[in-house]
Amino acid sequence: MTQTNTEQNTRPGRTYAPKVDILETDSGLRLWAEMPGVDEKSIEVELVDGVLSIRGRVATEEYANLEPLYTEYGVGNFETRFRLANTIDGEHIHAKLQNGVLELELPKVAAAKPRRIEIAG
Amino acid sequence: MALFTFRRELDPVNALFRLQSELERVFENPRGLDLGLSGRGVHPPVNLFREGSDVVIRIEVPGFASEDLSIESRGQTLSVSGKRSQEPAAEGAYHRRERFAGEFSRSIQLPRDVDASQAVATAKHGVLTVRVPARAEAKPRQIAVNAQ
Repeated sequence: MTQTNTEQNTRPGRTYAPKVDILETDSGLRLWAEMPGVDEKSIEVELVDGVLSIRGRVATEEYANLEPLYTEYGVGNFETRFRLANTIDGEHIHAKLQNGVLELELPKVAAAKPRRIEIAG
Repeated sequence: MALFTFRRELDPVNALFRLQSELERVFENPRGLDLGLSGRGVHPPVNLFREGSDVVIRIEVPGFASEDLSIESRGQTLSVSGKRSQEPAAEGAYHRRERFAGEFSRSIQLPRDVDASQAVATAKHGVLTVRVPARAEAKPRQIAVNAQ
């Protein structure tokens, strides 16, 4: 799984790359992307031509009346892309969003799963 | 006991980050919600706002449920801590590990005109919001002008 960062953004506003964990197990990949402030309705996960796109929109309206005093993080949308290996079964990707963390389960196709081969004695 | 007091304005690295964020603020897309970062590099990041006479604190705590967070006020200091109960995966190998794992604790010094003991906190979609209302005596008060 490689990250594709070559495209430029055409949407207005700031975009941040979410912090990501990727774990590979025998059965597939698990991916967690931190998107604080994003709810279920404002998230898009898309797989097109082997590229997995994750987009999340943060409601900046909530900041309309707030006057910043001290700031350590910027507020904006989240976006990232990954090119998936062809060992991933794109039909069975499972997504869940909880407490601002998107969790994806990307199972491997059966042919890519490790198989123990018995040696005849 | 701390041997010395950390002073943000004396730290050269932070000064560079401040300069960088100032430059970013000047040159980057002005249409986004640009707050102009005052500091960074501490976890979890905190934003402090004023709304009218109240102070509003927003902290990014993705992955933390409301029961994983605790907030304590003592005088004008607000302490926020979090502990995630999630166990690390036993099998498999990480290709990438950027997320913060474990416990955190941060203290925030509040302005004198707000009452930390009246703070109200809500956690939503991985963002903790703490609203600290102004002290009654700090709120603007209309004084009626009586006709003689």
